[in-house]
Amino acid sequence: MAGLAPAIPIMKGSAPHATGITGTGPVMTRHDEGEIDGMHSQDAGGAIRAGSFVNTISSRTTAPDMPSLRPSISLDRLGTVIAILIGVALFASPFVIFRANRIVAGEGRMLVDALPPSGAIGVTIVALGVALCAALARAPLIRLAAASVGLCVIFPAVGWSAGFVTPAGNTFARVSPSLGFWLLVLSFALLAADALTRLRLGPWARLAAIAVAAGAIALLLSSGAWDDLSLLKEYANRQDTFWREARQHLWLAFGSMVAACLVGLPLGILGHRIRRLRTALLQVLNIVQTVPSIALFGILIAPLGYLATHVPLAAALGIRGIGAAPAFIALFLYSLLPVVANTVTGLNQVPATVTDAARGMGLSARQRLWQVELPLALPVILAGIRIVLVQNLGLATVAALIGGGGFGTFVFQGIGQTAIDLVLLGAIPTVVLSFAAAIILDAIIDLSRRGS
Amino acid sequence: MIEIDHLTKRYGATTVVEDVSLRVDDGTIAVVVGTSGAGKSTLLRMINRLIEPSAGRVLIDGEDTMSIPEDQLRHRIGYVIQGYGLFPHRNVAENIATVPRLLGWDKRRIADRVEELLDLFQLDPAEFARKFPHELSGGQQQRVGVARALAAKPAHLLMDEPFGALDPVIRSKAQDDLLAIQRRLGTTILLVTHDMNEAFQLGDRIAVMDRARLLQYATPAELLTRPAEAFVEQLVGTAERPFRLLSLRCVQEALEPGGAEGEPILVTDSLRDALSRLIWTGRDVMPVADSAGALVGRVSVKGIMEHGRSLA
Ligand SMILES: Nc1ncnc2c1ncn2[C@@H]1O[C@H](COP(=O)(O)OP(=O)(O)O)[C@@H](O)[C@H]1O
Ligand SMILES: [Mg+2]
Repeated sequence: MAGLAPAIPIMKGSAPHATGITGTGPVMTRHDEGEIDGMHSQDAGGAIRAGSFVNTISSRTTAPDMPSLRPSISLDRLGTVIAILIGVALFASPFVIFRANRIVAGEGRMLVDALPPSGAIGVTIVALGVALCAALARAPLIRLAAASVGLCVIFPAVGWSAGFVTPAGNTFARVSPSLGFWLLVLSFALLAADALTRLRLGPWARLAAIAVAAGAIALLLSSGAWDDLSLLKEYANRQDTFWREARQHLWLAFGSMVAACLVGLPLGILGHRIRRLRTALLQVLNIVQTVPSIALFGILIAPLGYLATHVPLAAALGIRGIGAAPAFIALFLYSLLPVVANTVTGLNQVPATVTDAARGMGLSARQRLWQVELPLALPVILAGIRIVLVQNLGLATVAALIGGGGFGTFVFQGIGQTAIDLVLLGAIPTVVLSFAAAIILDAIIDLSRRGS
Repeated sequence: MIEIDHLTKRYGATTVVEDVSLRVDDGTIAVVVGTSGAGKSTLLRMINRLIEPSAGRVLIDGEDTMSIPEDQLRHRIGYVIQGYGLFPHRNVAENIATVPRLLGWDKRRIADRVEELLDLFQLDPAEFARKFPHELSGGQQQRVGVARALAAKPAHLLMDEPFGALDPVIRSKAQDDLLAIQRRLGTTILLVTHDMNEAFQLGDRIAVMDRARLLQYATPAELLTRPAEAFVEQLVGTAERPFRLLSLRCVQEALEPGGAEGEPILVTDSLRDALSRLIWTGRDVMPVADSAGALVGRVSVKGIMEHGRSLA
């Protein structure tokens, strides 16, 4: 599976990667993670744990104020790494790649050749300024501001560069961001993530931050600043299909998640009550989880094909051996385990004294479930839903292989045509969506954790 | 009034509560005491039908509990357990409001009642109403637990080791507070504990249980002077018996005419307190005053010892 869909490993690995690099400083007391683990570690059963993205990062930040005997100007370790990365990006890596057409190999253009002199100097000065802040500035707000300025400069700059590098009137030439650009994005994003972590933003602030980021991206895309970039050219050629596949992707990911919740929550509640059902259920779902996605899609083709040819209603509903139906069902099956397991675990970890007191005060079984058990299990259940959503947004890419549509369509077409820009057109939205879903659901989980 | 009538609970072949009968009169506290596993909790939980009895019945104010729908029955009987089981996702006010809300009281009435209870339990409403259980100390949680159980003004209260999670200093204060509140509200309480001191401090009557059986149900004094079985005698503590007896008697009983040097002791204090103060201050006699502060006589070590001997 990993080999088939480049988007998935990137997506799934994104959080650990970020952590690995941020974690260059001394490891702080794992306050945040301790809280999360504290609540999860009581789980007796096999709950699926959400490696909460924001909290994972925050558990490994560099200590903000290390007592030190060093001279007054002291270097921040993560900041130093970021500064070095910025240096490499500016002076040793091409900023963009120029290609004569969309499938031939390209040639790199260093920043000085990628922008008019004033632009190149401007970008260099800003990037060096950010590097300086990263290495020397302590206050998280300053670091965040520097990172934001950096991002706000290089994103339009790369669009500008595309227009500058493309010969006038040449519609075949393609310009795409190259290593230098990506390194700059990485360094600025790291700096921003580190600063955000040090700020220890509450859930509402995190939601606001992601709304601002989404607004900025929308502004960038709608302003036309990127229109000369190859990615946007690919998009322009496929505008209609892009949004159709986007809708299909979201429908596959969210629809199967909703279906899994509708089925999985009651199953989990039953499983919590009936021990034997729980064991059987979790075993079956565990087995389903181990079937590779492409194999599961394949396995579903035969019975659905049979259904389509023998049951007129099924055919009328659009159920066929290939297409969206098997993809939807496969995603649904994958989603069941996290939902059911986390529902069971969430309910199991409700303290026995609490349910006993509730019963003793005369709450009926239904009142106990709605007023006590589900609210107390909610953070764990939401953690399961978070896993499902992030997983589905990635896995939905594979659906394209059996004609299920979604962003995977572009990924696999792009692989077939060795058109890397087309691959990115499918992969980037997938990664961004998964990332956003993880942050939003983490914030919601924090909000649901009332009084603990 | 709680009447337990030949109550039995069996799990398979093992009998956990065997043919227990006892009656708790209105406005009194009965304490069930016994070693762990004796069946105390099972007995208590059969009263509000958290456990269905195998045989026998329970009457609340003369009404068979089996004739009352179980949720309704539980709305009428307060219930406090060890650890309290406060709802962690609800603040103090919401926790206390649990049963009134189930009963459909209107908002105003609930808010008034919550405030009244917080005052009664010496928790400042402005400070505590919005706090969550994890923000409270053990003693505060305990008070909220009892306040919650009393919210809908139940005439009866069941308590299963309600002080078990408190450290000794806070525990004895909490016991005194419970006693004061019970005397004020006239609630009928059945309390389970394995702590003999607690039983003597709180119980108007004490039920001693061992291995599913009720060995003796009597007043504290009777338990000390006429233990029904060797086990009761042992549980009551042979060595502690005289002191326990003295703690049940007040200074009035050993009052002698005359005066003495030093701080007076109240005529309503226990003889045990009087004796311990005499020992501690190194005197043989001390003056006794009534609640108005007027000296009414004196009490002596010799007098207390003679009185103690007459009790045994
Ligand atoms: N559901 C049950 N099934 C079997 N035995 C039980 C059950 N509940 C309690 N017991 C047994 O009943 C005995 C009395 O329990 P309990 O009433 O909790 O004792 P106590 O409160 O006096 O410590 C214990 O030995 C316990 O093991
Ligand atoms: Mg017990």
